[in-house]
Parts: sequence; C-alpha cells; structure tokens
Amino acid sequence: MAEKLLEIRKLTTGFITEKGMVKATDQISIAVDKGQTVCLVGESGSGKSVTSLAIMRLIDYAGGMILEGNINFHGQDLAAKTQEEMRVIRGNKIAMIFQDPMSTLNPVFTIGDQIAESLQLHQNKNAKEAAEMAVGLLKLVGIPAPEIRAKQYPHELSGGMSQRVVIAIALACNPELLIADEPTTALDVTVQAQILDLLRKLQAELGMSILLITHDMGVAAEIADRIAVMYAGAIVEEGTVEEIFDHPSHPYTIGLLQSIPGFEGGRGGELYTIKGTIPPIGQLPTGCRFHPRCPHAMEVCSMKEPPDFMITDDHRAACWLFQGKPVQADNKDEVRQA
Amino acid sequence: MSIGQSQLPTDSLKVEQGLPAAELKRPPGPWVILWKKFSHNPYAMSGLFVLLFFIIVAILAPVLTKYKPDAIDMMFPNLKPGAEGHLLGTDELGRDILTRLLYSARISLSIGFTVAFASVVVGSIVGAISGYFGGWVDTIFMRIVDVTNSVPTLFLNILVLAIFGSEVKYMILILALTSWMSIARLVRGNFLQLREMQYVEAARAIGVSNWGIIFRHLLRNASFPIIVNATLMVGGAILSESALSYLGLGIQSPATSWGLMLSNAQEFMLIDPLQAVYPGLCILLVVLAVNFIGDGIRDGLDPRQQVTKSRRRLDKWRKNYSKSGN
Amino acid sequence: MTEYLIRRVLQSVLVIFLITIVTFLLIHAAPGGPTQVMLSPGLSPEIFKQQAHNLGLDKPIYIQYIRWIGDLLQGDLGYTFKNHLAVSDLLLPRIGNTFILMGAAWLVSLIIAIPWGIYNSTKVYGLSDQSASFISYIGFAMPTFWFGILLQQWFSLKLDWFPLSDMHTRGKEGDIGDLFMHLVLPITVLALGFLVSYMKYARASMLEVLDQDYIRTARAKGVKERKVIFHHALRNALIPIITVLGMDLPILVGGAALTESVFNWPGMGRLYVQMATQREYSVLMAITIVTAVMVVLGNLLADILYAVVDPRVKLSKQGGKAA
Repeated sequence: MAEKLLEIRKLTTGFITEKGMVKATDQISIAVDKGQTVCLVGESGSGKSVTSLAIMRLIDYAGGMILEGNINFHGQDLAAKTQEEMRVIRGNKIAMIFQDPMSTLNPVFTIGDQIAESLQLHQNKNAKEAAEMAVGLLKLVGIPAPEIRAKQYPHELSGGMSQRVVIAIALACNPELLIADEPTTALDVTVQAQILDLLRKLQAELGMSILLITHDMGVAAEIADRIAVMYAGAIVEEGTVEEIFDHPSHPYTIGLLQSIPGFEGGRGGELYTIKGTIPPIGQLPTGCRFHPRCPHAMEVCSMKEPPDFMITDDHRAACWLFQGKPVQADNKDEVRQA
Repeated sequence: MSIGQSQLPTDSLKVEQGLPAAELKRPPGPWVILWKKFSHNPYAMSGLFVLLFFIIVAILAPVLTKYKPDAIDMMFPNLKPGAEGHLLGTDELGRDILTRLLYSARISLSIGFTVAFASVVVGSIVGAISGYFGGWVDTIFMRIVDVTNSVPTLFLNILVLAIFGSEVKYMILILALTSWMSIARLVRGNFLQLREMQYVEAARAIGVSNWGIIFRHLLRNASFPIIVNATLMVGGAILSESALSYLGLGIQSPATSWGLMLSNAQEFMLIDPLQAVYPGLCILLVVLAVNFIGDGIRDGLDPRQQVTKSRRRLDKWRKNYSKSGN
Repeated sequence: MTEYLIRRVLQSVLVIFLITIVTFLLIHAAPGGPTQVMLSPGLSPEIFKQQAHNLGLDKPIYIQYIRWIGDLLQGDLGYTFKNHLAVSDLLLPRIGNTFILMGAAWLVSLIIAIPWGIYNSTKVYGLSDQSASFISYIGFAMPTFWFGILLQQWFSLKLDWFPLSDMHTRGKEGDIGDLFMHLVLPITVLALGFLVSYMKYARASMLEVLDQDYIRTARAKGVKERKVIFHHALRNALIPIITVLGMDLPILVGGAALTESVFNWPGMGRLYVQMATQREYSVLMAITIVTAVMVVLGNLLADILYAVVDPRVKLSKQGGKAA
C-alpha cells in the first residue's frame, strides 16, 4: 500500500454564530496517499471548503475553529500547530488554489511579484532569482510570453489565464500536497477542461498529491483516484473512483450520479433531482442527516446516526441500508446531536 | 459505467418523507422588526430618552421657568450657580442661564427638525427625478453636487447669511439648501436601480403614470434609508446652527441659542468658566442622542447586522471549544 | 492615463467656472442688489449713482461678470469697499497661516488615525476599537468651537501651559518655538475632527479588504500576518481612503475657519467670518474662489494618487475609475 501523505481523522470544525457553536464538519476522516488525487464531492454548504480551510488552518481567519480530530501530515498533527508553525508549511509543503481566480489575485501587485513572493518566503531566493523562477513557472503552467505576462497586473488577464497564474503560485515551492477548491467552477467549459488537463499533467510531472474539492461528479470522474462524498458536514460514502461510479451505495451518491446529464443511469433523458435542500449548518435533523430527503428512509434513520459500513475493503458508506450486510468497521460514537 | 448493478432498487424513489414543516406564521412587518431591534439597543434607547427629554423641556419652557430668556436684571449679574432663584446662575446681564438654555433648546431643535424635513422633501424630489428620468435633469443635478462639494458648506452658509441677513428663515433655507444633496444622492441611486427593474415596464404597460411609480417606489423602497439619513441630518443642522450663531451670523440677540450663549461665554471666560460648559454640553447631548437614534434605526434595518456577542464571550467560546486555540 | 488626467483637469476648470458664476449671482441677488450692499446707505442719490457708475454697477450683469472674471484671471481680486485695500494683499498672508494650521492638523490626524484604524480593523471590538468608537461618537457630536473654548479654559487660563489665542506673542514674530506653542491647542481641536472620520474610513476600508479572497491567498502562501496586513491589505485599503481624503477637503477648510475664529488665528477662515459681518463682498468672493481652487486641486491630486496606487485605473481609457 502506498505511503499516506495526509490523514484526517475525525475532524470536527465549527463556527460561532448567534445560536452558539455550530458544527460545519462532523467527524470526517479521509486519507490522501502520495501521488494520489482524492476528490471531495458535495453540494455547496456540505462543508467541503471548510475542510480544505481546516487543513491549511486558514479556518482560524475565517472565524471558525477545529474542535476535535487530527490532521496528520507527514506524521505531524497540523491541528495542533500554531499559526507560526503553519506558516512554514503553507505555500511550501501544502499549497492551495481557490475557486474564483479573478478575486484570488491581489489587484495591485504584478503577477510576477505574486509568484516570486512564495519563493522568497520559503526558498530564500533573492528578488532577482525569484523573478526569473516566476517566469519559468508561468511557462510551466502554459502561459505564452511569460516574460511580458510577469510584469502585468491581474486585471489584464482572462479568467483561465488567472487560474493558471494561481496554479503557478501554488506550485512555486514544489508542494507535496495541492488543495484545489473548485478550481474550475468559475471558468468557461472549454477552459475548465484545459485547467483539469494542466493539473493532471503537472501532477504526473511533479509527483504531488491533489485534494480536489468540487460539486461536480463529472470533474471527479475525470481526475480522481478516490472519491469522498460529503453531505451536510459528514462523509457519507468514500471509495475508489471505480467503486463509487460502478457500485454507488449511499442513496445520496446515487442521487448525485443520476443528476448528471447524459449519465447512463439517468432515467430516459429526464434529469433527476434530489428533492429538498441541504439543511443549513446548525439545523441538522436527528438520526441520519440525509433521511428527510432519502427515498429509502427507514424508521431507524430518523433515530440513530448511521456508522460507516464497509461495502468492500476499500469502500465505505454511512447508511443503515448496509447494516449487517458486509463487515461493519470503525464504529462512530453514539448518536451525536450537532 | 452504470449504476445498474447498484445494491439499491431504484424504483422505490417515490417514498415520501416529508420535510419538517416550515412555520407558516405571517412574518412581522418591517416596523415591528425595527422596533424590536431598536428597543434592544441600549444606545439607541438612551438616545431616544435624551431627545424626548429635551423636546419636552423645550415645549414646557415657559412653564418650567418664571423668567424670560431676554429679561435683563442688572441687579444680579454673574451670579454663581446655585444662587437663590437661579439654579445655574446668571450671565453678565443678569439673565437666568437655565432659562436661556431651555429657550435655546426650542430654537436648536426646531431648526434641526425643520432643516432635516426640508432636506428630505427637496432631496427626494430631485433625487427621484434625476434618477428616474436621467438626462439633463441628472446632468444639472450632478453639476450642482460638484459645485457644492467644492466649496465648504460653512462658507456658503456664511455668504448667504451675510447677503440676506441673519434671520432664522434664511438660516433654515440655506442649511436645507446645503444638506439635501446626500438624500438626493441616496434616492437617485435607488431610482437608478429601479429603472432597470422589470416591474416598472409592467407598471407602465398597464398605464400607471411615472409619478405614480416614483411615489410608490419612494415610499416602499427608499423610506427607511431616508429616515436614517434624515435623523443624522438633524444633528448636523443643530451643529451648523450653533456654529453660525457662535460666529455671530446666526441667531441674534435678544433671541437665544446655545451657539450664541457660547460666543457670549467665551468673552466672560475669566469671570465664569462654567457658563461655557452648559450650552456645549446641551449641544453634545442632543446631537449624540440623535446620532444614536439614527445608528439604532440603521442597525435595526440591516438584516445582516446581528447582535454582536461581546469580545469576552467570544474568547470564552474559543477557549472552551477550540482545539487549535489561537 | 494622460487622457484621464486631461479629462479631470477640464472637469475641474468647469467646476471652478460654475463656482464663480454661482458666487457672483448670489451677491447680485442680494435684496436691493449689489449697489445697496456695496455702498453706504447714507449717500445722497447723486453721489450714490456716481459711485455706482464708477464701480461699473450700472452695467448689465453679464458685462459686470466678464469684467470681474477678467480682472480675476489677471490676479486682480478687487478692493475692499472700506479703506480700499487690495484684496490680494489682505488675503495672501492669511492663506499661508491657514496652510500652517490646516496642514499641521491634517498630518497629526493622519499619523494617528490611519495606523489606529488599521490596528482596530485587525482587532474588531477589542478595547482599542471600542475606545476609538467612543471617541468617534463624541467627536462627531461635539461642536468644534466648544471643544476649543474648553481647551482654552483648561490649558490656557487655568494651567497656563499654552497661550490663549493668536499666532504669535507680540514681539516674537519669527520665533518658531513661540509659534509651536500657539499651534498646540488649535491643532488639537482641528485634528480631533479629522481624526474621527479618517479613523472610521481606515478601519472600514481595511475590514473590507481583509475579507477579500486575495488576502486568503496571501495567507495560503505562508505570508506572515504582519506582512499580510501592511503589504497585501494596506495598499488596497489606501485606494478608497485617498479618494475620501480628497472629498473631505471642504469640511477641513470649514473646520479650520471655526477653529481660527475660536483661537483668533489670522487665517483665511477667520478673515472670511470677519468680512462677512462687514459685508465686504469682494473679499468673500475671493476667498470662496481661492478655497474652491484649493479643493478642486486637492481632488485632482487625490485622483492622480489614486491612479498611481491602483494599476486598474491606467487602463480605463474612459477616465472612469475601474473600481
């Protein structure tokens, strides 16, 4: 088995609101192996972005906090580090790219300067070396005329270009883990494909691991080795990409797959939608968090939160439908109320 | 890939599992929500009480004091506070200071409210026309704003009062003429948005006149921001009035105003330093009260504005819950 | 960029032109017309007419305006009616005095307000932020001149630390130390007024910027928090602050006029008040136009600075701020 680079165990995060502490993620566990691409899939509000911010420990700046759990990276628990210690890791060992490339770049600094900054910070390069390397990075991410582009400001670039620049910034210090939060959502469809290609190509070249966060099962199908499906702050199903697409088990995952246009399982060209909406954080139902929307809800579902059931050795789902069927593993604690 | 081999039968998707029924109570009106938030805001409420106090005292001035504000009594000039019959003493002409403070409240408050009201009327009309119709009205309006933004308001006020004479009616006129712009800009922005909306087309199509649209929109969408702006304007007008009176261009003796009293007090600072304290304190309190009320209304209207938890409470939360802790 | 500047300069010239028309018309709209207010009422009708003719007041109003603006462009600001002094001689030294007071107060307030506002934006609702908000409330509600009077009573009459008023002690006109002592109280009064607004702007602008995605990007790069604030955030936060600094200039001048009156500071604002009570219209017109030119120039300067700080402005050929 490959070496584990990142292992998140029972991570619970929360935000303070009017009504007190509200959990954004509840005891989620995922692992990313070296060189692997893991996709975290879910609707907006499912807590996937919060998870990425928690790994980077940027959640502290967003008004949230880690309440419980470990984030093991190279055997060190990131959740227990101070911001000062995290600074050495951020942008260096773990880098991140964000959803909207246009607002992600600082409007008042040149692109070259923004790339060079990481190099100066983490690799002790002087300004001139860093500037040269920045041009090299722009070339690496496929930007034509990189010398000219490096001297330009973000508003002079298109969305796709900007996202390439953002990727260049992230790759500056050869990170071992790249977290990509909806990297293609704000882009045109054609540009989306280019960016995904670029990510795949760079991963092959540089050998990094990618944790990609998306709401789009199609994107996950293209790039993922493993998929974790999140719903309302918890991972409801997790497994290899083949397992998830060939044997989707959790009713929510099935619903997601059926709502992809043109997907084989879709019913006669008609788009399937899961009825209802994701509950806002802090207003979770009792029992299984999906049961009010679940077509297979049983009595137990509204009473007790389901633990993870192993479908195969490499595929788990948190759903009572699988109780007693295959092996039950890693029992969650007793029913939790958010 | 196919989900045909899924472990689940897909034909059971019809199972109805009702969502928890949303509460279908009629939502409270905007005034009710506003009052609820406002009454829980200690600053706004204390502002309201202070303002009401000053209004009542100003109205009841003739009942509360037996002196006339301009009654000169050369037998008892410069009495100290607490002197018999004169709670706050007398000035250099033997006029009772408390009496003068009370009558000054009448002037300041009435000027403050009149100016705010006049500004709202002028500003709403100009802003609505210029935002709704655009074109040359809008161009002229923007130029007027340019001009008035380039000359200190105080200078304009002084110039007009110097030319036309220091009378209350001119003072109200010029204060209103130099303060309607903020309301006009607010209303204009509101109407620029309105022009883009579909329902205006619809309303026109069914024969509602432009003025009907303007008036209804003004009442429905712009009234609350106007109220906030107007409240803050009351304070601004009171400050301007006192400044002009202090400079000798506003209220003229024998009438009285807090600003005029201050200019008087400055001359006799050595004899009675307290004389300069009372009128200033009155201005400060009234303006502070009005500003608190304005802020209270604004916060009450802002749906995003949550009651902020105190810093200490937040820190406690953090300590109790956070694993990361910094 | 040049196109943008030319547009702004032309706009400024137009505004100043409009201001000359407005002030001119205002004075000619006075009850009884300018003849009445410019000439003393005791004159016999013949002399009255003669004087009016000498002053050109019997000509049509647009001729008078053209003559007046022609003189103005040649630097002739006219003469006071009483004593027949050249307005420019009266005004010039005052402009310098106003600049000393305003400039010093402006600098003091900026030096305190901007860092304090920035600090408060990083520690919202902290002790410092709450004290600042308390000071702001008081500062916005307190009449400036009253604050001046209180300072005079306390620090001048009671403690005798600073002189009560004026700009110099008689006989010490060239003494910088003496000037400084005279400046302390008026600067305190004036600076408090500016301080509260600037602090508010700085805090609000920083809070807005700190919420932006690019700040998160900077943190994700591992940039130190201090650098995030002073390098990545501040430069962006300054952009709206610069505009506001330009826009607030007239309020500054108005506040200066009041403060000058309280402390008997021989500046432009005090001259304006004095001349208003004496109805010396040529002086009022001159000061109005001089301040308008100052304000417009200040705004222009702010716009240029804006374009320097914000790279997005240079591209917008239409001259609109691409905010």
